[in-house]
Amino acid sequence: MSSTNNAPSFVPPNQHSRLRACMVCSIVMLQSKFRDDGCPNCDDFLRLRKDTEAIESCTSQVFEGLITLANPARSWVAKWQRLDGYVQGVYAIKVSGQLPDEVKATMEEEFRITYIPRDGSAVETE
Amino acid sequence: MSGPRDHEVDSDEEEDFNPAPADMSDDEGQNGDNDEEEAPRRKASPGHTRNGADDDEDDEEEEDDQDDVNARNDDDDEEDEDEEEEDEIQGHRRKRRKDRRNAFFDIEAEVDDEDEGEDDEEGAEDQEGFIEHGDPEEADFAARDDERIHQDLDRRRQQDADFDAERMARELQQRHAHRRRAPGMGETGAVPQRLLLPSVDDPSIWGVRCKEGKEREVIFSIMKRVQEKMGTKDELGITAAFERGGPNSVMKGLIYVEAQRQTDILQALEGMLNVYPRTKLLLVDIKEMPDLLRVQKTPTLEPGSWVRLKRPNKYAGDLAQVLDVTENGLEARVRYIPRLDYGMRDEHPGAMTADGKRKRPVTGARPPQKLFSEVEARKRHPRYITGNPNTNVWQYNGDEFEQGFLVKDIKIQLLVVKDVNPTLEEVTKFASGGDDGVENIDLKSLAASLKDSSTNVTYLPGDVIEVYEGEQKGVVGRATNVQGDIVTMDVTEGDLAGQTIEVPTKGLRKRFKTGDHVKVIGGSRYRDEVGMVVSISEDRVTLLTDQTTTEIIVFSKDLREASDLGGQGALGQYEMLDLVQLDPTTVGCIVKLDRESMVVLDQNGDTRQVMPSQIANKLPRRKLAVAADRNGSEIRPDDVVKEYGGMSRQGKIVHIHRTYVFCHTNATNENAGIFVCKVSNVSTISAKGGRVTSSIASGPDLNSMNPMKKLNPNAKGDMPPPKATFGRDRLVGQTVTIKKGGWKGLLGRVKETTDTHARVELHTKSKIINVPKADLVVRDGVSGREIKNYENRRPGGFLGPRPGSDRPNPEWNGGSRTPMTNASSRTPAWKTPTQGPNGGRTPAWSRAGGDGGRTPAWAGADGSRTVNPYDGNRTAYGGAGSRTPAWSSGAKTPAPDSFGHGSKTPAYGGGVSDAWGSGSKTPYGASAPTPTANGGDSWSGYTPGASGGSHAYDAPTPGMLGAPTPGLNYTAPTPAAMNAPTPSAQWQGGWGADAPTPAAGVSQLSALASSFSVGPGSKVS
Repeated sequence: MSSTNNAPSFVPPNQHSRLRACMVCSIVMLQSKFRDDGCPNCDDFLRLRKDTEAIESCTSQVFEGLITLANPARSWVAKWQRLDGYVQGVYAIKVSGQLPDEVKATMEEEFRITYIPRDGSAVETE
Repeated sequence: MSGPRDHEVDSDEEEDFNPAPADMSDDEGQNGDNDEEEAPRRKASPGHTRNGADDDEDDEEEEDDQDDVNARNDDDDEEDEDEEEEDEIQGHRRKRRKDRRNAFFDIEAEVDDEDEGEDDEEGAEDQEGFIEHGDPEEADFAARDDERIHQDLDRRRQQDADFDAERMARELQQRHAHRRRAPGMGETGAVPQRLLLPSVDDPSIWGVRCKEGKEREVIFSIMKRVQEKMGTKDELGITAAFERGGPNSVMKGLIYVEAQRQTDILQALEGMLNVYPRTKLLLVDIKEMPDLLRVQKTPTLEPGSWVRLKRPNKYAGDLAQVLDVTENGLEARVRYIPRLDYGMRDEHPGAMTADGKRKRPVTGARPPQKLFSEVEARKRHPRYITGNPNTNVWQYNGDEFEQGFLVKDIKIQLLVVKDVNPTLEEVTKFASGGDDGVENIDLKSLAASLKDSSTNVTYLPGDVIEVYEGEQKGVVGRATNVQGDIVTMDVTEGDLAGQTIEVPTKGLRKRFKTGDHVKVIGGSRYRDEVGMVVSISEDRVTLLTDQTTTEIIVFSKDLREASDLGGQGALGQYEMLDLVQLDPTTVGCIVKLDRESMVVLDQNGDTRQVMPSQIANKLPRRKLAVAADRNGSEIRPDDVVKEYGGMSRQGKIVHIHRTYVFCHTNATNENAGIFVCKVSNVSTISAKGGRVTSSIASGPDLNSMNPMKKLNPNAKGDMPPPKATFGRDRLVGQTVTIKKGGWKGLLGRVKETTDTHARVELHTKSKIINVPKADLVVRDGVSGREIKNYENRRPGGFLGPRPGSDRPNPEWNGGSRTPMTNASSRTPAWKTPTQGPNGGRTPAWSRAGGDGGRTPAWAGADGSRTVNPYDGNRTAYGGAGSRTPAWSSGAKTPAPDSFGHGSKTPAYGGGVSDAWGSGSKTPYGASAPTPTANGGDSWSGYTPGASGGSHAYDAPTPGMLGAPTPGLNYTAPTPAAMNAPTPSAQWQGGWGADAPTPAAGVSQLSALASSFSVGPGSKVS
């Protein structure tokens, strides 16, 4: 858990090496928080809570560019990054790594969610 | 209505007013009109002047005024939600009022800006509950607003007429995005990103300076503050903040904060560590906003490709090969060459220093790259090593080694995957690790690694290139223009032949044909190698190099068609044919240059291969080096000489070093045509620039005719003939007058001379001029009298120094006129050193040669090997004669005196007789280290040996043959001449002109000799 209760997304600098980014929504949290709470945006289908293996495969420690999302509803950055609708928190601009294919399939078939790769490969296709 | 929208409506009203129907009661619709009319009126009587036509308007104004009061009260707590409605209305009113006042001023925009901010904020505040209660609360104005909104819409449609549909859609999308907000996944994911481009409605983004490397911390600090203040009274106004830091990013040292207003940023970042909002904030242009968030895909790693390591430091920059990549692409298993010291450095692992701290690892030169060696590892750390020798897989110190390579899983962020540019050398190290030692370079993977980094490929106009990728694949042509990444090429093959197309360099490669002569221009260690293409496989070209005739494989991108042959002609500072010092006693001439070594032909004629490091130094080429060939002729670099004996090679001298000449011949290309000889073993064929050289071939072979040689077979060394011009020109320093030309009559002093000209420093004018020697008259420096035949007499030795015409003594004059003198002084024989007079006068020479032991002076000084003796000899004759006090005194004093002395006393004049008599080594004075002196030595030394002396004198006599005076002949064969019965007479005759015998030259000497050998005292009458 983060250090203060009223700032749940804060991570002190000495913990930064344990941050991971969700490959689906790109939220950046400590690995322990993923484990304890799961991904706040995508846990419906990723089910990262208490599943270290899923965390390993669906989150990445390689990410670039952090975003503090204070007001996801009004922020253009959120819109552009397709983060509107997500919870307040810290997100990454780019998350390297590939989501396992079966997870991708589940997402798209069962939840009708278009997976947007966060590693930059989507940009090139446009 | 939300704030921004309202505001836009306002501005629309003012900026492009659309006349409303007259019966409209909507004051908003008319107010623009009214503005115009009312403005002056209001200025005259602000507020309360009533006009029947404007009842509605005025009513409203009253409201306005009330509102204004409210507004003023509310100004302080704008955020109070209770006042929402009024605030909103007030917004319009206030603005309108202001607008009226400022109807003729252009400051509206600025005023608007402030309002806009406020409006926006209001909008932001009421945004959430807008739909539910916004409309009912506005009910008072519903009708009016309704009308207004419709009109606005019309206007906006007109305004947006030229907007394309897409943008309209996007704006609609954005406008409604807020309201339809329903938490859920990927709703906007379906919208193409280009429809999400920022608009003016969106919050702005400012760049804020922050401490480099602290970007992430700042972002988290902002997050913390945002969440802490959320729901409190001073909630932060920013909507987002982000960073694009990173060691290689151009955006490091900056974070970007998104907010409606700049003040929100200042408020949000106030007092935060590592970020400096007080410095200038950089507003990001709307167009540039998407660029800030642009993401480039990291190239995916594939097994076999090459990467470089970033960490640990010991391996930073080292090449590694990817063996495997984890499924999510975040880790790669790579192998690289370990840098192990096997514990050589840390004597005691984990040793503590005195203060109890763990020793820091020694930072210094890192160990060299070397494959893992089990033996080495066992030496020191036998316990740390486990593994299987069969598979050659080891664990050592926690690392895993396979086939000698260190294999490790490394996160991709610790790898450099772009612009790796592995060189062939590096790659070869990996390849040679194969089991059988056979090099199996996976050039394909190498090529793949290199392909991305096409930046280092350069195409030049004229290159034949081939498109290997994309739609135009297979097109071959010649590059005509290269601009950045685009190459314009004239297609020469394929369907497009004859056309000119432009292609990106990305899909291009150079094309060569088998047999092309190419040069390696970069990239590999074969750089600058030149060779012929023997085979081509895709972009790998095999060449046969010109220099080493070995086959090498390079990428076609590293090749260019070569116009030059042979490769480089220099290795570092050394070039072909340079003379280099190999050791203190050995020099050599470079006859071949290779990539790293050279072949040197040393002075002994051996060739050896040396490294540049083995060369002590390079000897500068001495253009003025001079030596004498076997005939005594002067040889200089660039002369053509021929080897005597041996292979009779003939060549041009490249270097002269001590007694060796390095010559270049075109007859062979062995050792690049260079051969080496001793100088004594070559003879001149032709001298550079037609220098006068003596050649035995030009006259009778005097050596074979020389009876003395036969008599005295021990006599070694041919006497090289003296040079015609040697030593210091005696003209130098003389006072002369010029007898011809523009300077005629002027007096001067000779500074320098050449063969034909003298440089004369004029006495009259401080100037040095060039005058032909023939135009000079030598004058006595003191008396100014003319010295005749100065030049001619010069080589005449004994005869030379005599002052001629100025002597009253008829004997002198006669002497100069006698055939003897003339013969000896003017005949070509004199000038050609092989001729008689020379021999006649240098009897001591052969003597010296023959009996070197007895004449240490001779042997020691010069022997007969070099020209110097001649030189000395002649200068002795000439110089000594001319310069000795005796002579000069003789010149100045009446001749009879000196002759008298000479004839009557054996001493032969004061000074000279001293010299002779004493037998000292410098008989003619200190200035004469001359053979004459030496000769005098030997003569005096061997005085009893009259016969020997006579032999000596005889020796050169054959030279007399060449002498034009028959008298010489006469004297030559008769040693008796030596023993001239009256030495004194002879002596006098020698000096005097009236010598009765034609063999004056000889007789002089013989007289001298005899007078000395016999003993000055006894025979002198």
